[in-house]
Amino acid sequence: MTRNAPEKVPVGGDSGLSQKGLNAGTVGLIGAVVIGISCIAPAYTFTAAIGPTASTVGAQIPAVILIGFIPMLLVAFGYRELNNRMPDAGTSFTWATRAFGPWVGWMAGWGLVVATILVLSNLAGVAVEFLFLLISQITGNAGVADLAFEVWINIAVCLLFMLGATYISYRDMQTTQKLQYVLVTFQVAVLVLFSVVAISQAVGGNGFDFQPFDLEWFNPFAISSFSALAAGLSLSIFIFWGWDVTLTMNEETKDPEKTPGRAATVTVITIVSLYLLLAVAMIMFAGVGTGELGLGNEDIQANVFFFLSDPVLGPLAFLVSLAVLTSSASSLQSTFVGPARTLLAMGHYGALPPAFAKVSPRFFTPGYATIVSAIVASGFYVVMRLVSENTLWDTILTLGMMICFYYGITAFACVWYFRKQWFDSVRNVFFTFLFPLVGGVILAILFVTTLIDSMDPAYGSGANVFGLGIVFILGMLIILIGIGVMVWQSFVRPAFFRGETLGMDAPASARKLRAESENRR
Amino acid sequence: MSGRIVVGYTATKAGKDAIAVASGLAAASGAELDIVLVLPGEGRSVITPPDASYDRYLLGQAEQWLAEAATSVGEGVVHREHARYAESFAEGLIEAADEFGATHIVVGAADGGSRGRHRLGSTTGQLLHSSDVPVVLVPRGSRKRVTDAGVPRLTVAVGTRAGADVLLDEAVTLATDTGASLRLVSLVTVDLPASVDTGVIRLAGAAHAEEVLASVLDRVPPGVPAEILAARGDDIQDAVSHLDWLPGEIILVGSSRLAQPRRLFLGSTAAKLLDQIPVPMIVVPRTRTPEGAGR
Repeated sequence: MTRNAPEKVPVGGDSGLSQKGLNAGTVGLIGAVVIGISCIAPAYTFTAAIGPTASTVGAQIPAVILIGFIPMLLVAFGYRELNNRMPDAGTSFTWATRAFGPWVGWMAGWGLVVATILVLSNLAGVAVEFLFLLISQITGNAGVADLAFEVWINIAVCLLFMLGATYISYRDMQTTQKLQYVLVTFQVAVLVLFSVVAISQAVGGNGFDFQPFDLEWFNPFAISSFSALAAGLSLSIFIFWGWDVTLTMNEETKDPEKTPGRAATVTVITIVSLYLLLAVAMIMFAGVGTGELGLGNEDIQANVFFFLSDPVLGPLAFLVSLAVLTSSASSLQSTFVGPARTLLAMGHYGALPPAFAKVSPRFFTPGYATIVSAIVASGFYVVMRLVSENTLWDTILTLGMMICFYYGITAFACVWYFRKQWFDSVRNVFFTFLFPLVGGVILAILFVTTLIDSMDPAYGSGANVFGLGIVFILGMLIILIGIGVMVWQSFVRPAFFRGETLGMDAPASARKLRAESENRR
Repeated sequence: MSGRIVVGYTATKAGKDAIAVASGLAAASGAELDIVLVLPGEGRSVITPPDASYDRYLLGQAEQWLAEAATSVGEGVVHREHARYAESFAEGLIEAADEFGATHIVVGAADGGSRGRHRLGSTTGQLLHSSDVPVVLVPRGSRKRVTDAGVPRLTVAVGTRAGADVLLDEAVTLATDTGASLRLVSLVTVDLPASVDTGVIRLAGAAHAEEVLASVLDRVPPGVPAEILAARGDDIQDAVSHLDWLPGEIILVGSSRLAQPRRLFLGSTAAKLLDQIPVPMIVVPRTRTPEGAGR
């Protein structure tokens, strides 16, 4: 028996594997909607984004929410096309490289990684404030909430949060599906409760600055200037960010034909109605002025729920804190996956050191990339906290800009990649050409407008360096550092930059191929 | 024995330790190896959006890891590699063992143990709780102590109370397959307050142990060389520390008398043993499964 020649069955042919298959086909409609809502984390995004939006567009927040969704939707169509054609963990990085070559691809990957790292530090910052608020609400000791604004306490707790989130992501610890459903339902229910109570309080004369409901709030043309509209739009792109996962989950769903589309529709209707309800409720209750609780007040802007939950809900205010905390916590984990997987793909194709491509042999997560993301996000948070008092606000504005940057590139990548197939069918004309093109152009305009406007030192929180707005400085620094690292990598790892690991491509027209094969016959 | 041995593999030092020991055991007993790498299963992810392309990347990586693992299997040992999906490492291995009709499941030590020592992690613990075939626990660093000696001797930890039929059967089968000799060991301890006359107790305990060992020895079939040994010490750790070990030796222990479904499998004595011994340990279920686990 011991003298048998070693025989090796190919791994892929193992019966266990073919039976169980990949994770394909496990997500149903409700599951996809829950994942979508928890990735968007409406409680968190809304508290972070409504203040800055109010100060740029005034009462027209509902209008901006509605039109902000349009470029998001158009780009998401492009995402879906690319994802179906070239499913790859590197998403924007891989697709942009295939369409435009290594340099543009590298910068798209950089944009994605930086944007998610920005949001990680912002999420952790918001979570810290709500943690202290929750403790103060439960103990009845108002002083505790103020501790969140002591710089060093804030930094220390935030770093602890990051450490916890990194540990959880690295070890790929998951809650049960049931718990996740409960958390998402709770989040939505609390937000609806908050809106209803705020509206009835406002109508009953208990509001801070009661504004009667006005249809004009939904009119985008009432916004004072194009710059204001652009700034508002890039913020509202941030509040929908994450929604595209429902559309790009494809092979993962039980019914790839129907589930992603339906899930995306259900998710977006839920989210848009929720946002509109919240926005209307907040404007009615607090107005958009700069008074103590007004949405335009700089001191409360970066975290509106933090300041409004007590006046609106009174003893039940802790529910809001709990909703935002759980929403930020689960969003921290789903957000961590983005940069980690893109960095992994970049390491895999040789655009970054190979260590980034390492998968933890015990937990099967992109371990190295996860830890690097966490360290950079923590470092970024500490520096920002020390440099600017309104960290959260400025990071949100910069974030909006970076999302426009890499989403824009991705949209154009879709258009260019499918250039030979545009006119294969009516469907292709819309989904591979018109939709992503229009979406990309809108995002590009938003990006450039925001970049120019943000040079004004008064932009955002008003912090400035050498007379230039901090948001502009941040955005430019991020892009310049990206270019610097890219050039450095091109010397160290020339293979990727010569297109040897991931080449450019454009699938041929199906119509033309058919015509040729018929001719040959 | 023409059985199959399932190795729970991870691309870590512990995984390589497990391959080294399993390969040695397979070579000595003529068994075949099934190297199993368990990936996190379907439907597990509820927070992080599922991504089929990442899963594909992971599967490619797993295949590469398995190919590397295959190169360290000893000459002439038949082996197959499998990447499987399961809710947990333990569940994946038990399913695989069941499917292949395996006789043993081999796993490495958890992280953080010191060199040459055992350490139970949560996954190994789970495996011990639920496996219906013997589990081979491999101490850290076994990959550096590979010998050509095969399995020269099997030590069987016999309790001071008799009744370890399944354990003895397993030991005899393994000894026959590998050509090893048996060493039946009883641990005699005096762990009593100082006021008691410890000398008297020690003598009584030792006498009882000799009796038990002798009765077990009687049941070893002729043709299998066997010896008996009562190891004495102040406590279990002390008693074990006086034992000598041959290169390639393996110890067999029975699962706890309390072992029931969902109950702790490894008794307190065996757990104390695990802290001390530098050789692989086979934990044998107390009762045999009806179908004889494919043997």
